[in-house]
Amino acid sequence: MFGYVLKTLLRHRARTLLTLSGAAVAMFVFCFVGSVQEGLERLTSGSDADRCLIVFQENRFCPSSSRLPEDYAPAIKKLAGVKQVMPIQVWTNNCRASLDIVVFNGIPPEQIRDNRPVHLINGSWEAFLTRRDAAIIGRNIANRRGLKSGDQFTIGDLSVQVAGVFASDVPSEENLIYTSLQFLQYSRGKETAGTVTQLEVHLTADADPDAVASLIDQTLRNGPVATTTRRKGAFQASTLSDLVDLIGFAHWLGYACVGLVLSLVATTTVMSVQDRIKEYAVLQTLGVRPFRTMRLVLLESTLLCTVGGVLGTVVASVALWMGGFAIGAEGATIAFRPSPELILVGTAVSCTVGIIAGLAPAIQAATVPIVMALRNE
Amino acid sequence: MALVELKNVCRSFRKGEETITPLDDVTLEIHEGDFVSLMGPSGTGKSTLLNLVAGIDRPDSGSITVAGTEITNLSRGQLADWRAANLGYIFQTHNLIPVLTAYENVELPTLLLKLTATQRRQRVELALRAVGLSDRADHYPRQLSGGQEQRVGIARAIVANPRVVVADEPTGSLDTSTSEQIQDLLQRLNRELGMTVLMVTHDRDVAGIATRRLTLNRGKFLPS
Repeated sequence: MFGYVLKTLLRHRARTLLTLSGAAVAMFVFCFVGSVQEGLERLTSGSDADRCLIVFQENRFCPSSSRLPEDYAPAIKKLAGVKQVMPIQVWTNNCRASLDIVVFNGIPPEQIRDNRPVHLINGSWEAFLTRRDAAIIGRNIANRRGLKSGDQFTIGDLSVQVAGVFASDVPSEENLIYTSLQFLQYSRGKETAGTVTQLEVHLTADADPDAVASLIDQTLRNGPVATTTRRKGAFQASTLSDLVDLIGFAHWLGYACVGLVLSLVATTTVMSVQDRIKEYAVLQTLGVRPFRTMRLVLLESTLLCTVGGVLGTVVASVALWMGGFAIGAEGATIAFRPSPELILVGTAVSCTVGIIAGLAPAIQAATVPIVMALRNE
Repeated sequence: MALVELKNVCRSFRKGEETITPLDDVTLEIHEGDFVSLMGPSGTGKSTLLNLVAGIDRPDSGSITVAGTEITNLSRGQLADWRAANLGYIFQTHNLIPVLTAYENVELPTLLLKLTATQRRQRVELALRAVGLSDRADHYPRQLSGGQEQRVGIARAIVANPRVVVADEPTGSLDTSTSEQIQDLLQRLNRELGMTVLMVTHDRDVAGIATRRLTLNRGKFLPS
């Protein structure tokens, strides 16, 4: 009977193609929205977000306005629970929300090599460590800007030599450009010499992040600049707060897409069953059980929805993978990267929606009085 | 023992304020190998009686036993199983599945039985040969003439070797020449394969091919 369902779908080509494409487009948008949400989730949760602290200048929000003395780093390093402190100078071409944000992080080069979750896919660490204006750039930004090792990259008043391109298991890392701390400090003029935008504090396994954060702020209260220290996840969520609201709203768009697929496939299936109600009555007259009739309709709606949904999900995943899209604001970026979970969720949602969409027409096909349906012309 | 046995069967319908009773206390016996034609004016319950015997409608009262099974008390699912095993239905308007070829249409009832692929193929080929359409097996209904479609419909009705074949005005939508071919075919099914046939028709000539002729009027059988 599977052959019967397939032939029915193939025979009604226009209906099938329209429904498939509708489901595909809706699931494409669903996956795009899903990948943005996953990106935000990755950024604001997980061990790195919880076990790392960011020290920022008090009451400052944009990286260009936060200036902390670089010598805060050794003072923090001495505190209990602190394993390591990484001074970071941030430079971004755009403090506002942007889809093509370029973010430079200036960090002592050895600390980048030893502590950042990156691995070079071309170029060399040696070139990065030995050349003053060298930079290693994330794969996404390299793809977006068409950069490779050996290229010169200039943006605003910054000009760097690309020493390598790196990949990372942390998608947002692939939207960063790393340079040495000193290079970034001095390229922006003398007033930024000896200052950093923020300090990233790595904790020991037994440290309480909130207690250490309070201790850092208390210790530095008497220094030249007061600080606000938060967990990295909370810091990033706060930095991206405008985007978080927008992404929160966008998740309704995801639900709307699911609703759209549901109503599209349900409408198509209802109309198809009503058109062919006599055919289902004939099948039952020949001896097809009502439950089997129901399964035929469900199979049809589920096939339409799943094939369309999987198509949209796969196309979205490929587009996300190839495009290396990211949205950022104030030096933090959310990477849109497809994940196996997203593909699984897209497939499962399509399949479930197909079953739900087919339920009412399936019951109608299975329970219609046979004699009445046979008279239907 | 009769193959088909109706006892005191009543069936009525409501049509607006009016109640129509096409079958009023009908009792009938059809024996194995009979070819029964059922005649009568429009609306006298011929098709209703056929549908009751086929188990696609239920009586208001009375009992119907076909091939040893009292079908009035079966559930919808049980009735479907029973039809698959015991009944062949020939429709007036063929009612072939348009997306399936002639072969696949005939094969449909066999998919509901426990048969091997080889057994299925043999039965379908035999049924198509019996109706003279072996060379049209790969044709879709839209590629067949009305008479050929009806022959495919007959092949589909007999492919599962049913105990009873019911035919609802099988020549009603055909021209005279094609109608004669179908009559001949039904006669052969009865004579050569020994199939029990219950046929509804309003055409006196078509009714003439049956071995037993019944006439319904106002819900009752008229004396022969």
